[in-house]
Amino acid sequence: MSETSSEEARRLAEGARDRVRFEEDALALADQVYRVARGVSRSKEEAEDLMQETYARAFRSWQSFTPGTNLRAWLLRILTNLNIDRGRRAQRTPDSQPLEEGDYFLYNRLEAASGETEEERVLQRLSQDHVAEALAAVPHDFRDVLVLVDIGEFSYADAAQILDIPIGTVMSRLHRGRRILKQELADLAVEAQ
Amino acid sequence: MSDPECDWCEEVLQPYLDRELDEADQTKVKAHLADCKWCDDRYKFEGHLRRLVRLTAVEPMDPGLKLKLSELRLEL
Repeated sequence: MSETSSEEARRLAEGARDRVRFEEDALALADQVYRVARGVSRSKEEAEDLMQETYARAFRSWQSFTPGTNLRAWLLRILTNLNIDRGRRAQRTPDSQPLEEGDYFLYNRLEAASGETEEERVLQRLSQDHVAEALAAVPHDFRDVLVLVDIGEFSYADAAQILDIPIGTVMSRLHRGRRILKQELADLAVEAQ
Repeated sequence: MSDPECDWCEEVLQPYLDRELDEADQTKVKAHLADCKWCDDRYKFEGHLRRLVRLTAVEPMDPGLKLKLSELRLEL
């Protein structure tokens, strides 16, 4: 074997090793990525499709990942972009109904509805099912941010990078998303009475 | 309630829960919550709501999906 071809063979072997390592690292993060996929999707099936598209694209473009940077964030950037591309955004954007009430409004509302003033009693009026239903009702743009911060536990700065939006937009969408979530919860809790 | 301290607390409670406040503000919120049961009840409630949101996404991934994902790897 000539020197150049053995050099070439060594490079190829190294590349293959890097790729396998990348694939293994990406697969090891699948559970965490899935939580976000599930959070931004309306159904389990949709989340599973999104995961497969995300991983197919990630494996194809592994060379554009810079080793040593945050792989989970990189995968989620692919995922959120795919989610946008897939036109799941046909959903209405929330009409600009005034959301002037303060942040405590849900608590205040539940407290008033129950006549209880103890925090624990007020809490009992929130069910897990209601929260899941309310979250599903939050429009995508807001839900993506909410899911990244509340479920993915990303900082505002990381969420901004993943979604490729300014940090101020992360903050305003988060604020609005949480407001919409609470509005839905307030409606559900009142209906349940 | 129109206590300006409570109003301020209400405004910064979300970034506080997100650990996005600077240290000085964080200390201020902590001190206010220790003093004010009215805000502290609401703080606990918000924290609980966060946990419920987190719990909506704990259903684990199907083992079948995991297998499918690993099959998406490129041929060597």
